[in-house]
Amino acid sequence: MDTNIVKGAGLMKITGLKKVGILLLVLIMTTLVGCSTKDDKGITVVGKNFTEQDVMANMLGLLLEEHTDQKITVKSFLGGTDVCFNAVKNGSADVYVEYTGTGLMNILGEEVILDPQEAYNKVKEEFSTNYNLEWLESIGFNNTYAVAVPQEIAQKYNLKKISDLQAVAGELTFGTMQEFLERDDGMKGLQKTYQLNFKGIKAMDAGLKYKALAEGQVDIIDAFATDGMLVKYNLVLLEDDKNFFPPYYAAPLIRSETLKKHPELKEILNKLAGKLDDRAMAELNAQVDVEKKKARDVAKTWLQQEGLIQ
Amino acid sequence: MNELLLVLVDRWPDILEATGQHILLSGMALFWAIIIAVPLGVFLTRYRKIAGLVLGVVSVIQTIPSLALLGFMIPLFGIGSLPAIIVMALYGLLPILRNTYTGILDVDKSLLEAGRGMGMTNSQRLVMVELPLARSVIFAGIRTATVMTIGVATLAAFIGAGGLGDLILRGISMVDTGVILAGAIPAAVLAILFDLLLAWVDWYITPQGLRLRKQQAA
Repeated sequence: MDTNIVKGAGLMKITGLKKVGILLLVLIMTTLVGCSTKDDKGITVVGKNFTEQDVMANMLGLLLEEHTDQKITVKSFLGGTDVCFNAVKNGSADVYVEYTGTGLMNILGEEVILDPQEAYNKVKEEFSTNYNLEWLESIGFNNTYAVAVPQEIAQKYNLKKISDLQAVAGELTFGTMQEFLERDDGMKGLQKTYQLNFKGIKAMDAGLKYKALAEGQVDIIDAFATDGMLVKYNLVLLEDDKNFFPPYYAAPLIRSETLKKHPELKEILNKLAGKLDDRAMAELNAQVDVEKKKARDVAKTWLQQEGLIQ
Repeated sequence: MNELLLVLVDRWPDILEATGQHILLSGMALFWAIIIAVPLGVFLTRYRKIAGLVLGVVSVIQTIPSLALLGFMIPLFGIGSLPAIIVMALYGLLPILRNTYTGILDVDKSLLEAGRGMGMTNSQRLVMVELPLARSVIFAGIRTATVMTIGVATLAAFIGAGGLGDLILRGISMVDTGVILAGAIPAAVLAILFDLLLAWVDWYITPQGLRLRKQQAA
């Protein structure tokens, strides 16, 4: 009697364990498959979590694919500046497009430098000595804050520069996002530098402000200089003639070690130098945001038009 | 709705690839969470003095926001799937560990006594009595961890591990509900499918004797 029960228990043990074993084996195999598909070491291009960065990461990637025989991996839509910067710093990525203002103020924690060239020289020097990262030549566009008005209003008041607003500000309502109101390099400084007194200031969500402008509820808004919405709503950017907004020029930021290993990368990526101004970048962004094209296709078409890839 | 269909047609290969990555990430994270948490849970029932401490530490991990934890991993492991899997596995630990621990402690003491009376060794009692009887509680923990892991996996895109979170992030950036849903709906479906799969596994590894008893009870 006793032996029977133990025997029964023994049988149960074997079948039970076998089944658990089979399942574990399946799991281990999926794990191994997963590990083996890990990227080989090639060149990894990353980008932050907004459209422009997605376009630029793909553009760099396509350019490198064409002109090197390295395996290129593009990973865009990473968490943000912090993630991209740390990834290139510790070597899990090689290059991404960074903005001089972000490098200077957010990463280095330095004060504003208004002169674009001076800001660029400063980050180039500091990044090279502190982080072993190299700033390549600026791509040309300056993704800083800007002031935008619809075509009709620009014509009506003959507006080209921000200082042209001085005479007519009393007739215009400014639509802006909350963040711009709070920042020192935002509304407060703008009003002080250019001596502006608007009829009214309405704070609203970043996405809503374009609609409000289109519907005539506000006459003038703050914007990012390369925002695709500028193209969609056909807005005019006013020139920052007193150099109030800090420069955020975009340039590839690459590991010095990667450059040492593949010196040709410098020349390849510098093919982009000065090729895209604010408007051109805004148009590429609009193709993704407004026309819903894929960032990679947009980057490819542009590179082909410029004759940078086949 | 129409917009969503257009996105589904247009981005079909992307969605498929992202779903594959999502399954791989979640599967590997769960694998490691189970491999660590179940034996650790058993171990803690043998050394109950340190159980409070260990469970406390694992609970603290749970309170760290997942984005922050992903951020901590970058200096240590860089970007990509490895740090993402580590974070997801850490999040999966608590439910599995706690349920294994509680499940085994809750096994009727008289059954353990019976086992000892039959001359079973400690490990025989673990494999033949405690684990089979605690199985449903342990599996409840694993199923909780699974649903959580599939949710956390949507954040893996932040550190370049891909997955369905990638589509969700793109959709948010473009203010495109279709693309957001193209990531969010498959993630929800995956959570449900994995949960059902585990329910089946739970039934599959239930010893015949216990299966019968359940049917009779029902």
